[in-house]
Amino acid sequence: MSNELIVLNQIQKIFYTEEVETHALSNISLTIKEGEYVSISGPSGCGKSTLLSLLGLLDTSTGGEYKLAGHDVSNISKEERARIRNKEIGFIFQSFNLISDLDVEENVELPLTYRKDLSKSQRQEMVKDALQKVDMSHRGKHFPSQLSGGQQQRVAVARAIAGNPSIILADEPTGNLDSKNAQAVMALLDKLHSEGATICMVTHDPRSAERAERNIDVLDGQVIADKKVLPNHSESTSITAEEAVAV
Amino acid sequence: MLNFQDFKYAIRLLSKRPGFTALTISVMAVGLGLSIYLFSFLNTMAFKPLPFKDAENLIIMDSKVNGMLYNGGSLDLHDYHEIRTNLKGIAEFSAVDETSANVSGRDGARRYNAALMETNMFQITRTQPLMGRSFTETENQVGAENVAVIGYDMWRNHFGGDPEVLSQSVRVNGVTTKIIGVMPEGYFFPRNAEIWMPARQDATQMQRGEGGSYTGLAHLAPGTTLADINRQLEVIMKRLEERYPKTNNGQSAYATTFPMSTMGNGGNAFLAAMYIVAILLLILASINVGNLLLSRAIERSKETAIRVALGAPRSRLIGQMLWESIIICSVGGIIGLLVAAWGLEVTESITATFTDDKPFFWWKFGVDSFTIKIFFVFVIGTILVTGLLPAWKNSGADFNSVLRDGTRGALGKKSGRLNRLLVMSEVFLSLTVLIAASVMVVGTYIATNADYGADTDDVLTARVRLTQAQYDTPEKRAQFVEVLESRLQNTVGISKVSISSDLPGEYAWRPTVAIEGKEYVDEKSFPRATYIATSHNALKNLGVELRQGRYFDSSDKGLDKSTVVVTESFVERHFDSESPIGKRIRIVEVDGETPRWLTIVGVVEHTIQGQSFSPVRRDPSVFRPISQAPRLNLIVAMKLTAEQTVAIRSLRKTLESIDSDLPAYLIKPYQTMIDRNTAGIGFASKIFLMFAIVAVILASSGIYGVMSNTVVQRTQEIGVKRALGASDEKVTREFLWKGAKQFIWGGIPGLLAGGGLGFMLGQLMATGVVALGSISIVIVVIIGSVVLFATYLPTKKALQLEPSEALRYE
Repeated sequence: MSNELIVLNQIQKIFYTEEVETHALSNISLTIKEGEYVSISGPSGCGKSTLLSLLGLLDTSTGGEYKLAGHDVSNISKEERARIRNKEIGFIFQSFNLISDLDVEENVELPLTYRKDLSKSQRQEMVKDALQKVDMSHRGKHFPSQLSGGQQQRVAVARAIAGNPSIILADEPTGNLDSKNAQAVMALLDKLHSEGATICMVTHDPRSAERAERNIDVLDGQVIADKKVLPNHSESTSITAEEAVAV
Repeated sequence: MLNFQDFKYAIRLLSKRPGFTALTISVMAVGLGLSIYLFSFLNTMAFKPLPFKDAENLIIMDSKVNGMLYNGGSLDLHDYHEIRTNLKGIAEFSAVDETSANVSGRDGARRYNAALMETNMFQITRTQPLMGRSFTETENQVGAENVAVIGYDMWRNHFGGDPEVLSQSVRVNGVTTKIIGVMPEGYFFPRNAEIWMPARQDATQMQRGEGGSYTGLAHLAPGTTLADINRQLEVIMKRLEERYPKTNNGQSAYATTFPMSTMGNGGNAFLAAMYIVAILLLILASINVGNLLLSRAIERSKETAIRVALGAPRSRLIGQMLWESIIICSVGGIIGLLVAAWGLEVTESITATFTDDKPFFWWKFGVDSFTIKIFFVFVIGTILVTGLLPAWKNSGADFNSVLRDGTRGALGKKSGRLNRLLVMSEVFLSLTVLIAASVMVVGTYIATNADYGADTDDVLTARVRLTQAQYDTPEKRAQFVEVLESRLQNTVGISKVSISSDLPGEYAWRPTVAIEGKEYVDEKSFPRATYIATSHNALKNLGVELRQGRYFDSSDKGLDKSTVVVTESFVERHFDSESPIGKRIRIVEVDGETPRWLTIVGVVEHTIQGQSFSPVRRDPSVFRPISQAPRLNLIVAMKLTAEQTVAIRSLRKTLESIDSDLPAYLIKPYQTMIDRNTAGIGFASKIFLMFAIVAVILASSGIYGVMSNTVVQRTQEIGVKRALGASDEKVTREFLWKGAKQFIWGGIPGLLAGGGLGFMLGQLMATGVVALGSISIVIVVIIGSVVLFATYLPTKKALQLEPSEALRYE
């Protein structure tokens, strides 16, 4: 179907360490449509982060088929994977992963510098837009070490959305944040989703998972549940997107 | 700060990592060993006071001609007396003329190093004869009884240690001489003399230029410095030059310490370069070890954080880190000291090859009090440098963040800056050391392979010194040469005999000359040329190629003849490369000869008269038949047609058959004599080469270590960038560019410092600016490649991880 952004078919991931075979993912099949907000949940070690790495082309599967935007990306070259990550995927990590030597603007600009089709002024415009969306324009010349955790994650969100990717992959985006900052970041994601972004988020925080419209439960490397969340999830939030940027 | 419990802990940590411990101790041993060795070696060579009382204020004075320093008795007798009269700030004055003496005994004549001295010279060295006495003023008068004081070795070897030696006489230079004293064992002042006689020259009774040449000796009065004396000498000599332009044209004088006088021209530049290189190498070694300790500190940052959490004071943490530095530097230093001691022992035999005769008596290399002092200074210095890096790293770090994890950002910036500083330092140090060392090595190679203009293969040389007493007329001297040449020519084992005042490769007299038809404004404008007397076949026999005209032949023989052969360098300089055949020149400073015009009959290839790297290497030469201008000091060169021992026996027999009082001395192959010219710089060059090799190893491993560390610390960053879409190529290029930037920042000052040092050494070694430029480019390319390679390898390794693994990398 035309609006199927991600299609996984019988995906497997096996780690081999000193003759020990660990099945991180076993025959995972799922589809994510454009505009969907999906959360992947499960206990520690269940394979949810491995699944997100495969979705983000940060790792390759041991078996199975992976289609992104209709293209089979299971066996593409490293260079092609890098190109797709750059243009089609935006990452938000649990530990922010900002580059300490770069200031906020440079961090947000970083993925854009890998694209040849953007001029310097275009990149600056896109950085400005992204920082405005997360209300971090006033901190453009600050370094990550000068920011709070919540601010760092907002910069990471700006970096993820700066290049207008097809999908945003978030790995425990609130894991390193206090509850207030966590809610602010989640509100930001809600806002992005409401603007049409496709989001896939790994979390073991039920409150965060509830904000998605679809929840996939993973256990021992297998999808054990894939369910739509009731549309009234937003009612449980205690902070709005507008309030979020103020935190 | 330093706690015994921490010492035990440091020992345990080091023993748990034997590879790391061995590596760091080895690096420190190499760095400290080489530096201690070089400092001790140079101190003995150039700074250690002679082993006499009050030697620290003992200076010598010699002449300087057109800015070039001469040593070993080059101050004119009359100049010396003017200096003695006018110089202020001197407590005691004396003078000595180093020469040689033929001493005849029952088993034939032998040549000894001798010194003609003012009577107070032994007092200047605060040394009294072991037996007998020194000279009286009466014995220093012309016409007094001939007396001599002999050295301990001569007494033991020549006189069998006879206690009655003081009542005996020997023939010295053909004159019966009474022995009046024996000096103590080990006394060879001024350099390697074994027999001392009064100088007996009274400047008031002689014309300027007729007296001998001396080395002035003096004790500085309290409060006077060498600089004061040198300033006064410039003024005094300038006045003399104006008053006596004919004899003093371009002449000046200088004062220096005794050991420094042996360093010659450019000695200060050479010493400075050696010291700088030694210090830089030590810093390089310290930075490497410091970096290794820093890596360990980073590995243990969690442990350190726990200690802080448990209340460890910062001083205690630094103390704990310092213990490792103390142990590594101390053990490395002790090993280095042992290696340096061995090296100094070996050096003793190597330095014996620097001079024709015995090495200078104060060259006693070994572990002395200075070596021990420098050992402690260096070990303490390296402890501070190596301990400083990890201490700096750990000071002010956010340990709470370390404990909470996920804090690489907080420490990353500081680490990154430190790593960049380390790489830049390594680049700077290695470039400086390598450029300087390469200039020295290349300069030595050029000097060693220089064409002196003569064929040295299978040629044996020997010195013969005619005595003034026996050969008091030019006729007698000329006849001796003719007889010796004809007899040797017909001797078994010898062919192609050449007898000259000097051979190519030897320094020779450089008087002023005048070319007929050229106008000279005043006495100062006469040029100088090397002036050598040779037997008529000498140039041909030595293989000095003829360019124009002819060699000397039998028609040039005779004191009444006036012919010369000049080198092509003489023609280029004075005849604009036109044919000089038939044109005439005159030796202005005649040294006893009757001044006359000399007709040029031939032009030969350029010969180097002196060391091939010295400023005189390009000086032109004038050759005169020895039958026209006989000399007392002769050198015989013989082509060998049999074993060397056969030729030596034949030479000695022939000499004895002519004059039993004449020994042949300094008998050695011509090539050995030539090699001796570069023995000193060859040795220095080997030291530089060793430093260069160690510097390359230390710098390469150090730069690789730091870069590898940097990349490892940035593995997560690499993961992030790849997650954001950076291709492997992009990441690689980015890291290579970072490496290149660090290389440029460290390289520019390194190139300037290395270029400066190289230029200094290049002046000394006559390597030229082109060679310095080429060397610098090659070294820059080598170190640049090392940096890029050291960046590329760990980056490639980091890129082999999947991005997801890189993101989780700890």
